[in-house]
Amino acid sequence: MTAVARRLVRVLALPAALFALWWIASAGSTSFYLPPLPRILAVFGPTWSARLTSDVLPSTARLLLGYAGAVVLGVGLGVPLGARPRLRAVVEPTLELVRAIPPPALVPVFMLLFGIGTPMKLLVIVSGAIWPVLLNTIDGVRAVDEVLADTCRCYGITGARRLRVLVLRGASPQIVTGMRQALSIAIILMVISEMFASSSGLGYAIVDFQRGFSIPEMWSGILLLGVLGFALSLVFRVFEARALGWYHGLRRTRRGDA
Amino acid sequence: MRRHALSWMCALGALFALGCGRSNSGAGSGAGSGGSASETKAPGSAEPAGGGAGATKLTVAAIAIVDVAPLYLAKAKGFFTEQNLDLTIQNTQGGAESVPGVISGQYQIAFANVISLLLAHAKGLPLQVIAAGNFSTGKAEDFGGILVPAGSPVKTLKDLEGKTVAVNQVNNIGGVTVRAAMRKAGGDPDKIHFIEVRFPEMPAALGQNRVDAAWVVEPFLTVARNQGATVLDWNFADTAPSLMIAAYFTTRDYVKANPDVVKRFTAAINKGLSYASEHPDEARAILLTYTKIDPAIAGKLNLPVWTPQINRASIDVLADLMVQDKLVSEKPNVDALLQ
Amino acid sequence: MSRPAPRRASPASRAGLGALGLVGAAAVFELIPRIGLVSPRYLPPTTAMLAALGREATGAAFWRALLDTIHGWALGLAIAVALGLVLGVAIGSVRGLRVATASTIEFLRPIPSVALIPVAVLLYGAQLRSTLLLVVYASFWPILLQVIQGVGDVDPVARDTALAYRFTPWATIRYLVLPTALSYILTGLRLSAAVALILAITAELMIGTPGLGKEIGVAMASSAVPAMYALILAVGLIGVAVNVGFRALERRMLAWHTSVRLEAAR
Repeated sequence: MTAVARRLVRVLALPAALFALWWIASAGSTSFYLPPLPRILAVFGPTWSARLTSDVLPSTARLLLGYAGAVVLGVGLGVPLGARPRLRAVVEPTLELVRAIPPPALVPVFMLLFGIGTPMKLLVIVSGAIWPVLLNTIDGVRAVDEVLADTCRCYGITGARRLRVLVLRGASPQIVTGMRQALSIAIILMVISEMFASSSGLGYAIVDFQRGFSIPEMWSGILLLGVLGFALSLVFRVFEARALGWYHGLRRTRRGDA
Repeated sequence: MRRHALSWMCALGALFALGCGRSNSGAGSGAGSGGSASETKAPGSAEPAGGGAGATKLTVAAIAIVDVAPLYLAKAKGFFTEQNLDLTIQNTQGGAESVPGVISGQYQIAFANVISLLLAHAKGLPLQVIAAGNFSTGKAEDFGGILVPAGSPVKTLKDLEGKTVAVNQVNNIGGVTVRAAMRKAGGDPDKIHFIEVRFPEMPAALGQNRVDAAWVVEPFLTVARNQGATVLDWNFADTAPSLMIAAYFTTRDYVKANPDVVKRFTAAINKGLSYASEHPDEARAILLTYTKIDPAIAGKLNLPVWTPQINRASIDVLADLMVQDKLVSEKPNVDALLQ
Repeated sequence: MSRPAPRRASPASRAGLGALGLVGAAAVFELIPRIGLVSPRYLPPTTAMLAALGREATGAAFWRALLDTIHGWALGLAIAVALGLVLGVAIGSVRGLRVATASTIEFLRPIPSVALIPVAVLLYGAQLRSTLLLVVYASFWPILLQVIQGVGDVDPVARDTALAYRFTPWATIRYLVLPTALSYILTGLRLSAAVALILAITAELMIGTPGLGKEIGVAMASSAVPAMYALILAVGLIGVAVNVGFRALERRMLAWHTSVRLEAAR
């Protein structure tokens, strides 16, 4: 077996096994809310092909847009906060306060301040997905190697160049960790954002199925969410390998694995 | 290293203790939380006649809204104790949550709107209506209506074509009745752009002109009107005379296994419905005990009509509308739902 | 010639700055409704919110709900952490398992707990266990991922040394894996604690299990706007307390960790 095939097997083995287990365990199910997997798969195709352009794509677009916003804001706010302890001390309790409020409770405030349309939905996604990025950026910026910082000062590397070469690059492993966590959170919030002031979207459709007692369709939607999350994480993996190639190589050398 | 492992385990242990310590007392500390399961959960078990082994425990799931005032009133007045029923009212957020609970036996009886029940029934859930819930007044000053913001250019229902209308759920009674009212006024309901907004956020949406119209129920109806919104139409009245909005229901199995309990509950709640209808002031007063509605609003809002008589004709109308609005592919069997 | 190292702000002045930030935020939310940016009917000024909070705090129902929430949060968090630790150490230690489970984790993680609500209600109704289902499912992932990462970060030299000295598996875990992973684990604990609180409130809000979330829901359904905001504020304050508590724990437990690091750097 080629290396690629072997990798594929390793990656897909456990999910396939769990899937098969689910199939077998649920095949004879008569429970209304836990329908047999074959039934869920049967409705999957018709349900979502009809809704592809009306629900799935717009939701995915909003998801990606919200995620991008969360990353940009998170890094943009995280760098100054990480670099200035006093600023951090001022802002931190307020940030913690806002962070602890669950999105369903924040939505009324958002609707008041920002209305009912797409901006509000994007804001819901940003409001939750920003935290891992922000906190990890702060941690990453705080932990910038002092030796490297002194070296930069010696060589007169300041301002934007220092930001790019020292701060961002040094914090990038942490930032990317935060970005990875933010991705799943963004998907969850995409669903939640469509539970309010919506009439279309992937999250809306799932909730609508739930309320309309179309349970196999609801589960097919949950399945789709998992597939979407998995696909996006794969894309992210590629991005991470490119962006952090230097870091992974460095770690491998240090650990003597290279 | 040992010291830190120790403090670490202490921290985790504290978490556990905090959690488990209360669970022992939590089981007993009712306090309106958690229903006491009825002794008659298993189908087929015989139900002791009233006065036998003590009162029968029942848990009813209901949303903390105006509609269920008769339930609370009946409990306060002792109508359930009269029937030898020990009733616990459990708060839920809606049909989507109470139906699974009834199916699984967590609650014996619950309250939901008729369209939710018809939908569930159409999907094969063996639910059965055992008592009427609440009705529209059938005329102006109903407990639900279509509002427009103050100073709105929308004057008739037909003007809503191409506009944004907020409802709490499109594929439920709000959407269906708004569409029915639209048709009656000669408009095309497909030209309405519906948007789902939760009731609590509707007054603000109207006040800030975020939507062109909204279908609102009490107490938000009065709140919104106090803030300047005006009534465009009473859509319940347009849909059917004496429209039955919601009902108390349980599963068919439960009815078969506990016909006596069901009969006693129905007797008690029907007495409560009539009592609430004859004593609206007491109904308004009891609202303040299970909701946080402002007393001034509670005094002013439009109460629904409460009567024990199930309006079968209006359920038929709703079932037909569901087909017309493509909520279901074929008309649900109303007979099976009612008996 | 060289700049003196910047003095670290003392804890007292840090707290003072934090309080300043909070007061600033409170002032912003006092002004927005008062100058009419948003109607005070929909967004009460901070003083009105605080007054409503005071009113709530005088009632026993508030404290009962608070305890219910803490109960659900603590229990759910404990279960999630226990599961996360056990599974994380197991998966993280074996490279094959890490690769095999990666795709499954990536598939399950983005599924929102809110999608599990009907299942939770079906199985447990509006009881504590519904809350627990949602809380455990959501807060399991952060701690699991952190543990896996932490376990995988073990210094290979130390690992080989342990191997050479024939540490038993338990000793390996106790003296090698856990200390290394400790900082990751504590971060994961902090993240999970925050997520657990959010899910506990969300579950109470959407299912109606007893707790502050349920009280928020009742306030929402009654259009009692100041009370609703007061309760939301209370939830935020609890979140702050949780975070401060876990950060303090982290600082204490990692006191040896960072000093070891600093020593190595010198």
